[in-house]
Amino acid sequence: MKMEFDEFLAAPECGVVIVTYPDIFRTEAGLRHGKFSKEYQELSAVIVLDSGDMAKIEVTDGDLVEIKSEAGVVVVRVKESEKEHPGIGYMPEGAWAYILGASPVTPPASTLALSAKVGRSRQEIPAIEDVYRR
Amino acid sequence: MVCTGCALLCDDVEIGENGCRHACRIGDAHITSTNQIDPMVNQSPVDMDAAIKSAAEILVSAEKPVFVGFGNSVTEAQATGIELAEKVGAEIKTFHTDIFDDILDGRVKTCTLPEVRDYADVIIFLGCDPMNTHPRLLSRYAYYPRGEKRQHGWEEDRTAITIDLRFSHTASICKEAYTIDPNRQIEFMDALMDALSNKVPKTTYDKKRILKLAGTLKKAEFGVIFAGTGASAPPRDAIIRLMDRLNESSDFRLLPLAPGYNLRSIAEQLRQLHNRPGDDGDGGSDSSSGGSGMDLHEADCILCLGFDLMNSLPAHGINGKMIVIDPNETLTSRYADVVIPCAAGGIDCAGSAVRMDGETVEIPLIRESERLSDGAILKQLLEVV
Ligand code: SF4
Repeated sequence: MKMEFDEFLAAPECGVVIVTYPDIFRTEAGLRHGKFSKEYQELSAVIVLDSGDMAKIEVTDGDLVEIKSEAGVVVVRVKESEKEHPGIGYMPEGAWAYILGASPVTPPASTLALSAKVGRSRQEIPAIEDVYRR
Repeated sequence: MVCTGCALLCDDVEIGENGCRHACRIGDAHITSTNQIDPMVNQSPVDMDAAIKSAAEILVSAEKPVFVGFGNSVTEAQATGIELAEKVGAEIKTFHTDIFDDILDGRVKTCTLPEVRDYADVIIFLGCDPMNTHPRLLSRYAYYPRGEKRQHGWEEDRTAITIDLRFSHTASICKEAYTIDPNRQIEFMDALMDALSNKVPKTTYDKKRILKLAGTLKKAEFGVIFAGTGASAPPRDAIIRLMDRLNESSDFRLLPLAPGYNLRSIAEQLRQLHNRPGDDGDGGSDSSSGGSGMDLHEADCILCLGFDLMNSLPAHGINGKMIVIDPNETLTSRYADVVIPCAAGGIDCAGSAVRMDGETVEIPLIRESERLSDGAILKQLLEVV
């Protein structure tokens, strides 16, 4: 198999704090189409990044990125934010964010916000069954 | 009809041949959802009796059982669930209910949703985004409607403000939005407390804006804080401290915005259970936010009642046998040892529920079905364990 030269180079990474948010369209998709549906997955496997951070890791809106934290790794699609928030990545509540260790409930005051590294990915978004294999 | 899509329990929903009238996106999808599951044991289809028998066997042999959820069941089913938990010595973890305890104990002032509509002039959405979780809150009660003392509605009579880790959809329609750095949430809360005490806050946030916010809050005639219970909300004690300080100079009430349509009811029932004469609070059942009580990873059996556990926690840490009682297919039901489908409260199961402000609401049936209610399933389990 022929390898391209850039496949030997590590993709640039950027540190972000993960903040989760509720998304009505995702909730609706889960109820209408089920939590294993394409619609639900597309609205779940997302990170909203600051445009400056996206430039640092050389990705554009719709590209796939890998997010790594101490608790886990996921591949999701990047969405360019309409607001500036360097160093913060917003992810919908649920499976993809929780696998990274995001808390579903209010954490104690002493808890540090969840830090992760984000960089371009060559992997596809895994099916939810693979993210959540017990 | 009453929608059980969230804890607003909207009672003006009409179901016709062409769908639901008045329901929001979540309500409409919830009411018309057809994502049902079949009874399963070890991921193979079985009949209902076999699934219930299998669940009973797991419960009887469990040494450290935990029941999770309860927020999406009618009050009567919750009561049966508590009885079952007591009988098998299970801990109940409800998540998101801590702040209800402060309200139920009278530790913080609260009010009803109609009171918000009639009297509220300053409304804070703290660490929550109701446009995405309780979609009709702003249109029915919190912002847009005219009320007895708020005849000019949101344009003149109400000031709505968001304080959140993200500029949310709710923020985009409020008059002021404070977006907080996730690593400096407590700094913001402390700065606001200083400003409320007429001190210039020591902070890297915009001092002028925080002083302006404090001024608005202090002038409130009837202030309401809608507080989230998720990861974006400040810790419970910071919210309580803020409420105490606000009530030194103005009149503020707290209403939590939590997931599930009937979480307040289970918080009330567990509180009554702990206040029972002779109960020292260390009995079989216990409510917890997930931070206290037994760690889920230690449990050898987890019964999920209307709760998609695996969509809420990293699943790889859970080792116990898993029993799911749920109307719909969830991530958890796909991997559970036993799946028992049930009727959904407010759809094919009637009962009562407690709205987020403490008002009891009777929940009628929308349609008949063959499905057993979760209450009936829990009763069958109670008889055989
Ligand atoms: S706001 Fe809540 S209760 Fe009202 S229709 Fe929407 S989901 Fe149903």
